[in-house]
Amino acid sequence: MDNINTKEYSPESPSMKSRLSWLWSEYSVIIAFIIIFIAASVMNPRFLDINNQLNILMQVSIIGIIALGMTVVMLSGGIDLSVGSVLALAGVISVLALNASGSILIGVFTALLVGAFAGFLNGLMVAKGRIASFIATLGMMAAARSIALYIAEGGSVSGEVSGFTAIANNNVWIFDLPVLIFFAMAVLIYIVMHKTRFGRYVYALGSNEKAAMLSAIRVDRIKIGVYTLIGTLVGVAAVIETSRLNSISSSSSGAQYELDAIAAVIIGGTRMTGGRGKIIGTIFGILILGILNNMMNLMNVSPHLQGFVKGLIIIIAVVFQKRE
Amino acid sequence: MTSQPFVAMNQIDKSFNGVPVLKNVTLEVEKGEIHALLGENGAGKSTLMNILGGIHQPDSGQVFIEGKQVTMANPHISQAHGISFIHQELNMVNDLKVYENMFLGSEIRNKAGFLNVEEMCRQTREILAELGVFLNPKEYVRNLATSYKQLIEISKALLHKSQLIIMDEPTTSLAEHEVGRLFELMRNLKKSGVSIIYISHKLKEIQAVCDRYTVLRDGQLVKTDSMQAGNLEEITKLMVGKAISQERFVHGHEFGDMALEVERLSSPGLFQDIDFTVRKGQIVGFTGLAGDGRTELFESLFGYRKKYTGIIKVKGKAMKITHPRTALQAGMGYVPKDRKENAIIKDLSVVHNMSLSSMGNFERWGFIQDKRELEKFSSYKKALNIKVANPRITIDKLSGGNQQKVIIAKWLEADTDILIFDNPTQGIDVGAKQEIYQEILELAKLGKAIIILSSEAPEVLRICHVINVMYHGEITARFIGDETNEEEIMHYATGAKREGEHIG
Repeated sequence: MDNINTKEYSPESPSMKSRLSWLWSEYSVIIAFIIIFIAASVMNPRFLDINNQLNILMQVSIIGIIALGMTVVMLSGGIDLSVGSVLALAGVISVLALNASGSILIGVFTALLVGAFAGFLNGLMVAKGRIASFIATLGMMAAARSIALYIAEGGSVSGEVSGFTAIANNNVWIFDLPVLIFFAMAVLIYIVMHKTRFGRYVYALGSNEKAAMLSAIRVDRIKIGVYTLIGTLVGVAAVIETSRLNSISSSSSGAQYELDAIAAVIIGGTRMTGGRGKIIGTIFGILILGILNNMMNLMNVSPHLQGFVKGLIIIIAVVFQKRE
Repeated sequence: MTSQPFVAMNQIDKSFNGVPVLKNVTLEVEKGEIHALLGENGAGKSTLMNILGGIHQPDSGQVFIEGKQVTMANPHISQAHGISFIHQELNMVNDLKVYENMFLGSEIRNKAGFLNVEEMCRQTREILAELGVFLNPKEYVRNLATSYKQLIEISKALLHKSQLIIMDEPTTSLAEHEVGRLFELMRNLKKSGVSIIYISHKLKEIQAVCDRYTVLRDGQLVKTDSMQAGNLEEITKLMVGKAISQERFVHGHEFGDMALEVERLSSPGLFQDIDFTVRKGQIVGFTGLAGDGRTELFESLFGYRKKYTGIIKVKGKAMKITHPRTALQAGMGYVPKDRKENAIIKDLSVVHNMSLSSMGNFERWGFIQDKRELEKFSSYKKALNIKVANPRITIDKLSGGNQQKVIIAKWLEADTDILIFDNPTQGIDVGAKQEIYQEILELAKLGKAIIILSSEAPEVLRICHVINVMYHGEITARFIGDETNEEEIMHYATGAKREGEHIG
């Protein structure tokens, strides 16, 4: 606290210590990313290979898109556990629409619509029903998965329209299309959060809901908007997930995506209770997770142990950020 | 002196952050007496009691218990000397049962180390019966009415076989017959040699039950005397002081059209049948003691609370206000009390706090123009004398006065015709206070309708054209600003008098 004051009021003479602590508090996730990146390149020369790098980006793009939405939800003071199930549901329904219509556009549109609608329902429950977001989205998590299973009769559904797989498997220059979609979404969400009143209101609401309401902000509408936004992003992720293998499994697709997305947001430095955090932090958070997964694969760590390492990293990240 | 006082506090001095709160205060409480501690908000009563309770340490001065000097380094030492503190706010754990609350931290255990529930229940029942309360000790506290909770709080002090009980406004949520029973019990305790320090604003109660009184004002001892019948007037005068009424700020200027009319506004349990009007350029004050319902009234008017009935007319047009947003659209702004909880968004920067209620002023094609925000802020910074070097720092790093000015700037930017200020100078130093009064006056001169809620009577006396006094959710008196004084206001605020002359 004192350190910060010194920095703000006498910028001409900040002590070395206060400057370091400021750097750390603002950019700890980027510093951690650089350390992990360097460690990875030293430990395994194959890590730096350009194809491996692009592979990491490809692997994080789906969770990354969801994590962007999760950042917004968590900044508003909520959480969304339903993303994995909604992804499966949106995928299943969109494949059915795709096959029935033969139009890729309709397939994509359906996925976005289903995701947005599920998110809208979450938002209604949280804002109007005054149900804790954890509970409301836990309910949606169970319900959406169940409907997906019912529609697909417990199995997978596959696309029958040629060209649909191009969405996830085409390249632009050296980048896979999903990576570019992820980047585009990141830029979009960044602009929404920092350049529009919606973003400003989300921060205000997450920081102090009563003060936000007394500032004449329609808190309920903002909440509904937040959950609808993440639902739509889940729809985008569902299109990529489906298109990648031209099929989606009602039972296993999207399983535990909520955990990875929340982990990325937490590692990225967003405060659990809302009001504070950055989109850029989440992007580096998801990259850290991607590098860790990649390293463990390259070093032949048993897949059964990978969850352990991930868990450890999340806890370490939170311990370091607790120093407010 | 024939007998030693039970507690003697000698020449206590205490300052917080260099601001003296207690100056050379001496207090003696005899064994077996009920001693009233009186004074206005901020007179230093709580600080003095917190020193006795071991919560604060005095800067200088001594505390004696039965003639022996003691150092109250922490609340446990104070308790060990037989002192119990019944705080104004209830310290109950709602999810525990009555007996569990009573024995929290001092549970009775049997030889095997398990809780002796039966014994605890028996003792709980006994003590509550003394207060004339018959409750199942195994009832959950959350199911009880507030008055019962308060009685349990009092019983807890009795349980610990205290020698001295400090009661801070113990009757605020008690019904009349419960108050009667409490007084009965206090008299019994007195007979058995227990001393009581009784803090209250309700002078009638004090007269009924106390033996002696001590009055504090601005951190200084004004008088200690024995309580005699009929000197209530004198005590009120002592509490308020004569020198306190500083020059009035109000200047005569013409009022404009009717800005706000409120008729028969009621909300069950909070306020009833509120009628008042505010004209453009007029400053209308509302004052009263804690629990008078004025904050709830204006939170309802501003659309934060929705369960109310009655008519609200803004500029002659009847409005249904269901959300702060509709209130803003109707032309109302609200600077709430408890700045930290209700007004500032501590994670947002100073500039962003300023622009929060009027984002539309800073947008182009739906995108926020940072530059326009900063420019606007620097004009407010100059106009309101906001002291901040870098407006991009988060608002929680500013002093209370500067935070309040930013919140005022927020509503000026929203440009509403009616401005409601709830405790506008709460926790603000004297200099900034003056500036805020000045600003409010300027706004009134510009033709804004101003409403000021304040727990401090001197504040409304200084700046308001019309003063409403509230008690238990009703307006008990309405005065023209310069035709009343603090004593009179106090009479109506404490419920000692009701239904005064209605003017205007």
